Amino acid sequence: MDDKIPRFSRSWRLQHMLLMVSVLLLIISGFSMKYSETVWGKVLLFLEGGFQARGALHRLSAVLLFITAIYHLIYISFSKEGRREFKSLLPNKNDFVDLKNSILYDLLKRSEKPAFGRYSYREKVQYWAFFIFIFLMFISGVILWFHDFFFGFFPKWAFDVSFALHGGTATLVILFLVLWHMYVVHLSPANFPGNSSFWHGYVTERWLKENHSLEYEEMKGLREGKKSEGKED
Amino acid sequence: MTAFLTVLLALFQIGVSNPNSRCFLCHGKANFGVVENGKFQSLYVSPKDFSTSIHGKFTCVQCHTDVKVIPHFIKPRKIICLQCHFEGNTVGAPVKWMPEKYKESVHAKALAEGNPNAPNCETCHTTHYVKSPKDSTSATNRRNVPELCGKCHTKEFEAYSKSIHYKALENGMLGAAVCTDCHQEHDVLPPNDPRSALNPQSVVNTCTKCHSDTLLMERANVPVQQPEAYSESFHGIALESGMVKAANCTSCHGHHDILPASDPASPINPRNLPKTCGKCHPNADQNVAKGKIHIIPSEKSAGVVFYVYTFFKWFTLAVLAFLFVHIVLDLSGFIRRKYARHE
Repeated sequence: MDDKIPRFSRSWRLQHMLLMVSVLLLIISGFSMKYSETVWGKVLLFLEGGFQARGALHRLSAVLLFITAIYHLIYISFSKEGRREFKSLLPNKNDFVDLKNSILYDLLKRSEKPAFGRYSYREKVQYWAFFIFIFLMFISGVILWFHDFFFGFFPKWAFDVSFALHGGTATLVILFLVLWHMYVVHLSPANFPGNSSFWHGYVTERWLKENHSLEYEEMKGLREGKKSEGKED
Repeated sequence: MTAFLTVLLALFQIGVSNPNSRCFLCHGKANFGVVENGKFQSLYVSPKDFSTSIHGKFTCVQCHTDVKVIPHFIKPRKIICLQCHFEGNTVGAPVKWMPEKYKESVHAKALAEGNPNAPNCETCHTTHYVKSPKDSTSATNRRNVPELCGKCHTKEFEAYSKSIHYKALENGMLGAAVCTDCHQEHDVLPPNDPRSALNPQSVVNTCTKCHSDTLLMERANVPVQQPEAYSESFHGIALESGMVKAANCTSCHGHHDILPASDPASPINPRNLPKTCGKCHPNADQNVAKGKIHIIPSEKSAGVVFYVYTFFKWFTLAVLAFLFVHIVLDLSGFIRRKYARHE
């Protein structure tokens, strides 16, 4: 029952790691500028080695995030595993039913827990939020980074919009990370005090059955089909 | 004998009515003076202006202490203001921080280095007609400061006299910036001195002092949000964080000859903006004039930025509310289920 089951491939974990490192660095170096008048902003600025070093760090992490994004796009377009992962991340009608049932279950109006597949609406909303956020951040960030070049193309207000967009999206990113991502993967009752599968890629059989029962069934069916003897319950 | 007595009596009378009258017998004559080194030097002191000055209640010899007999035939020593304005003086001369501040200034330094043109106290405050700066006839009255400094700083005065600040001053707006508002009064320092109000890191605060004053700006009909908008802009944040090369107020607006954007000669006139921005941003063209410069995203005047900002504000709040409610429901459901199981 507590057997370890591989859930995330090495490539998938590497992408997550790159995303985590680059986004954290971007947040730290970005907010130390946006909130440079606050004490925390000043402490962060000091730790980063001043304003210019902060800018360099921000741009460097942006490049890292860009490489990660390109890697991810290639992964979901050209690798078999990536295409499969992407397909299970695509939103569908069931997600809305799951959301409704999940809330009913939380309100004790429904006795059985909704059965989730590999990615439930909880994970999908994170993925797609970040997909859109990174796209917006990329567009506005490039305009701001190469403003001297874009002065020839865009009116002044386009830079102000980019600046507002960049800051607004950054706040949403933090909101999703601190509130939702932290809760869903670490602090929720099913995972408390934390889930380390992003690091080694393994989850326990019990965890998978409880939280992603459809994926568990599917995996069990596959395994039973492959091997003659199935795992005991 | 009678005539002699009359004259004596007359002199005595004058002496009783005004102790300075004996001095003004000579010094009160408009063309009184001496020829020194081949040049005529006026020794005239206007009795009227002197008597209305802050020192009008004193007798001449209270300062010119080395004049013992009148008429005197020796040249009196130069007066040092600090001979009265020192801590513990008995004549009630106010002791303020100004002399100490002055000692730090470029003027004092130049004087100490032997520059004969460097100004001392009396250069600005005048020798005999020292008046409160609040007095409109005082040389140091706001209205008279530009002309006062302009006596020596002719080029700067010429540039300043074209500015909107001087125009406003001429029109009776005494709140308009004069030399001393930016350059400090007594501690005039070079802009590269970190203590100078015109140091790149301080110049924004110097302009902000007046340009965030709602009442003053309302009277001058100048928008008051500019300093706030600037401090939230990238330029403002960069400068605040120590990037001295980031644009401050003067980088775009100029300094002595500041003009409103509507003036075709102003560096911030839309037609001149490409050149002004081009000082730092080589590709700047007419595009930089499209859109407001000093914007506060949360105000409607920011245009399209306001709508982007407002969308994000409400969207973020909605997402926050949804995620929070969902988490609370999740946790309360978990606790209630656990509780129900135990029962």
